[in-house]
Amino acid sequence: MWTAAEETVTSSFASFIHGVQPEHLSEVVRHRSKRMILDSIGVGLVGSTTRVFNIALRYCQLYASNAVSSVYGRKGLKLSPTLAAFTNGIATHSMDFDDTWHPATHPSGAVLPALLAASQMLPPSSKPNGLDFLLAFNVGIEVQGRLMRFSTEAHNIPNRFHPPSVVGTMGSAAATAKLLSLNVTQCAHALAIAASLAGAPMANAATQAKPLHIGNATRLGLEAALLAARGMEASPLILDDIPGCSGFSAFYGDYRPKPLPLPASSHKFLLEKQDVAFKRFPAHLGMHWIVDAAASVRNLLINYSGSFSPSLIRAILLRIPVSKYINRPFPESEHQARHSFQFNACTALLDGEVYLNSFTDGCIHRQELMELLAKVLVEHPEDNIANFDKMYGEVALVLENGDVLTGRCDTFYGHWRKPLSRESLLKKFQSNASHVLPEDKVNSIITTVENLENLSDSSQLASSL
Amino acid sequence: FFPQTVTENFANVIHGLKASHLTDLVIQRSKRMILDTLGVGLLGTSTEVFHKVIQYSKIYRSDASSTVWGHSDFRLPPLYAAFVNGVAVHSMDFDDTWHPATHPSGAVLPALLALSEALPQKQKFSGLDLLLAFNVGIEVQGRLMRFSNEASNVPKRFHPPAVVGTIGSAAATAKLLALDQFKCKAALAVAASYAGAPMANAATQTKPLHIGNAARHGLEAACLASLSLQGNKQILDMESGLGAFYTDYTPRFLPTLQSYSWLLDQQDVAIKRFPAHLGTHWVADAASSLRKHLVESDDSVPISRIKRIVVKVPDVRYVNRPFPNSEHEARHSFQFAACSALLDGSISVQSFSDQNISRPELKELLSKTKLEHPADNKPSFDNLYCEVNVTLQDGKVFSERCDTFYGHWRKPLSTEDLKKKFHSNASSVLSVEATEGIIETVDNLEKVEDCFVLSAFLKGTQSTKVLSKMCLS
Repeated sequence: MWTAAEETVTSSFASFIHGVQPEHLSEVVRHRSKRMILDSIGVGLVGSTTRVFNIALRYCQLYASNAVSSVYGRKGLKLSPTLAAFTNGIATHSMDFDDTWHPATHPSGAVLPALLAASQMLPPSSKPNGLDFLLAFNVGIEVQGRLMRFSTEAHNIPNRFHPPSVVGTMGSAAATAKLLSLNVTQCAHALAIAASLAGAPMANAATQAKPLHIGNATRLGLEAALLAARGMEASPLILDDIPGCSGFSAFYGDYRPKPLPLPASSHKFLLEKQDVAFKRFPAHLGMHWIVDAAASVRNLLINYSGSFSPSLIRAILLRIPVSKYINRPFPESEHQARHSFQFNACTALLDGEVYLNSFTDGCIHRQELMELLAKVLVEHPEDNIANFDKMYGEVALVLENGDVLTGRCDTFYGHWRKPLSRESLLKKFQSNASHVLPEDKVNSIITTVENLENLSDSSQLASSL
Repeated sequence: FFPQTVTENFANVIHGLKASHLTDLVIQRSKRMILDTLGVGLLGTSTEVFHKVIQYSKIYRSDASSTVWGHSDFRLPPLYAAFVNGVAVHSMDFDDTWHPATHPSGAVLPALLALSEALPQKQKFSGLDLLLAFNVGIEVQGRLMRFSNEASNVPKRFHPPAVVGTIGSAAATAKLLALDQFKCKAALAVAASYAGAPMANAATQTKPLHIGNAARHGLEAACLASLSLQGNKQILDMESGLGAFYTDYTPRFLPTLQSYSWLLDQQDVAIKRFPAHLGTHWVADAASSLRKHLVESDDSVPISRIKRIVVKVPDVRYVNRPFPNSEHEARHSFQFAACSALLDGSISVQSFSDQNISRPELKELLSKTKLEHPADNKPSFDNLYCEVNVTLQDGKVFSERCDTFYGHWRKPLSTEDLKKKFHSNASSVLSVEATEGIIETVDNLEKVEDCFVLSAFLKGTQSTKVLSKMCLS
C-alpha cells in the first residue's frame, strides 16, 4: 500500500488498475464499451481479408508454437498469444475502419485483441468471466484516455508519434494486467515495461505499415504484462515527470501528469463523458466530415440541374483543417486513399457515399474520379481546427456558369455527438463479419457481446471468431 | 528525374555495399567488437533478467530454431533467440559504447547469428557475409546519430540503442538476406515503427530489453519487408519519420559506393573493463589512481580518516545515484564507482554482487561522497573527464584526474587484454575448447566458410574439436 507521501502518478495508475472492480462500471460505460467491442470485432473480421494481414500472418506462422489463441476469420488456426494479438490488431486497423476517440487515438484495437488472446491462455479453472473481461477492457480504454490528458499536444490530430503506438501499448498492458490479476507492483512494472515498447512515428500512417501500430500496441502491451507477471522490473516512476531523464514524457513536447483518483472514491470513467466515434466507411476519421459535406452538396447539384453532371463543375473547393498526412491530391495506393480529403470528397460526389470497395485499385484509378480530382482546390480556414471535436468539412462546387453550391458538415453521423443507432452499428457489424463468417456465427457473436456481463467463460468469445 | 531521398540513398547503399568495401581497419575493429560482444553476452546468460526473458520466450518454442548462447539444452525461434541473446549482451552494461553514444553491437550481432541458423540448409553464410552485414548494421547506426546534435551527448529522452539500434538491426538483417533496394527501404521504414524507449528505464532491470528488442524488432522488420510489407518510403527524410525521436533532425546522404568511407574507420568504440555505465570508467580510473596516495596496494583504505570525497563529473542524471539499491542502479552510479574503486583498487564483475553493494564500508564511504558538475565538463563521451578529490580528517587533500580511461577509443584495450576479458566472460558458461574456438573463429572470420560454427561453439557442444578443424577453410 502506498502512503500519501509515497504516492506518485505511476503508483496511482497501478493502484487503479489493480483496485478497480466491476461495480465501478456505470450503465453508460458498459453500454458504450460493448458497442466498441462489437464494432472492433467486426472490423477485425473484415480486416482479415486484407493483404497486410496476410503478410503478418505468414510471418507469425513461423513462430507458431504454444498455439492457443484464435485468429480472426481463420477457424482452426491458432497462434501463440502475443502473435495472435499482433495479427488481430493488424486486422482491426488494416482498413482504418476502427473506432476513434477524443483526444485522438484508436482505443479498442489496442486492447481487445490482447484480451481475447490472453483469455485463451489461462487454464480452465481460472478463466475470467464476461464481466471481468468487460472490466479489463474498460481499464485499457480508461488508461489510454487518462494518459492523453497529460499533454495539450495530444488534443489535436497528431504529427509526431502515432497515438495508438504510444497510449495504446500502455492501455494494452493495463488491460492485460487487470485480466491476469497482477498485484499492484506488477501493474506498475507492466506499465513501465510497456513504455519501452511504445512509440511509432506518424510517417508510417497512410502506408501499409500503419496497421502494425495497433498490432504491436496490443501485442507488446500484452507482452509487457506477461513479463511483469514473471517478475520483470522497470522504472517505478515511468509516468511521473523526471527532469533530465524522460519516462513516458519522452513522447510529448509538453507533459503534465496527474494521479488517478482511487477507485474507492467514485471513479468516473472517461467513456462516460466522452464516447467514441464509429466509422461508416474505412478511412481516416477526418474524411467522414468531408464525405457528408460532399454528399449534401451533390444533392444540391442534383436538385439544381436534375442530375449529377461533373461537366457542370469548374472547381471543387474543400475547406479543411491543416493536416499534412491527410492532404493528398492524387493518392496512389489504398492506404493513401484512405488518408486523402480530396479522394474521399470526390468519391462521395460521384457515388453519393464512400463504401468498403471504394478503395479497390479499380475504383481508385477511375477516369471520372481522376477528372474530378483535377478540379479540386484546398483551403484552410483559420476557424477549422485540426481537432476531432472542433473541425468541420465544407465542399463548395463552383459551377461553369459562376454559381456556387456549398455543402457543410459539422457533425457526421457516427461522431460522438451523433452516434450510430443500434441498427446502424449492427448493420456495419453484419456487413463486415459476413465476409468471413456464416450468418449464424455472426448473429451469435452479436448476442454474446450484447450479454457480455452474463458470460461465464470469456474465452468463448475468442474461440467463436 | 527525381532527386534521391535520404531513405532511398540508405537503401541503395545497404544493398550495394560489398565485402570489398571493407577496409582492414574496419575489419580489425569490428572483429574486436564481435568477440567482446559474444563474451559479454555469454557472461550475461547468468543474470536474473536473462532468466526472466528465457522463461517468457520459452512459451514460443518451435521447430525453426536458433541457438541461445551458453545453452545447449534448448533452442528458440530466431526472433526470440535474438531477443534473449540481445538481453544477455546488455544485461550487465558490459557491452561496447560508441560516439555518438549508443551500444552498437548488441543490437546487431544477436539478430544476425539467430537468423543465420534459421534459413534453409542450402543457404549458408560465410564469415565474410556475417562481417559485412555486421558492419552495415553498425554503420547505419552511426550515420543516423549524425542527423542530430542532440545525439552527440549522453541521452536524456530516448535510449539510443532503442532508436538507432532497431534500424541498424533491420539494415544488417536486410543485408544478410540480400534484400533488393525496395525491400531494404521497407525494412528501414517498418523498423522505425518499432523504435524508441524512454531513458527512465535505464538503470532498471528493463534496460537490457532495449537492446534485446532492438535486435529482435529490427530482425522482424526486415523479415516483414522480405514478405513485401511496405512502409513510408521517406522514413529517414521526414520529421514525422525517424525525426520524431529528435528535437533537431537533419538527415544526410551516405558517401558514394565508389569510395565508401566507414565511420568505424574514423571512430572506434570503447570496450568496457567492468560492467557499468561508460561514465563510471573515468571515475574508476581516477579513484584507483588516487587510492595509491592513501595506501599500499594490498592494504585496506582507512575509511575513518576520510572526511569528504568529491567527484567531479558532467551532469548526467541517470548516473547520479548516491545510494544505489540494486545491481542495476549500482552500475549507473558515479558515486558507487568512486567508492568501490577507492575501497578495492579496481572494479570488476564481482563488485556488483548483492554482498558487495551492501557492504557497510561502502555505505560509509558513500555517505561522505558528493558530486560536482564543473561547467567545462560536458556530457559527451568524447570530452568528459573525471576528477576525484579526497579530503582527510587532518585536512590533507588528494586529487587525481582521468581524461581518458583505458578501454576508451583514444586508449583502446590491447589485443591481449581484449582476449583476457573474453576468456574471463566466456569461461563462466563455456568449456575452454569452445572459448578458444570462438576466439580463433572470430580472429579469422573472413576465411570462415560457414558461420554456423560460431553458433555451434556458442551453445557449448561437445564436439568442439571437430568444429575447430572446420572453421578454417
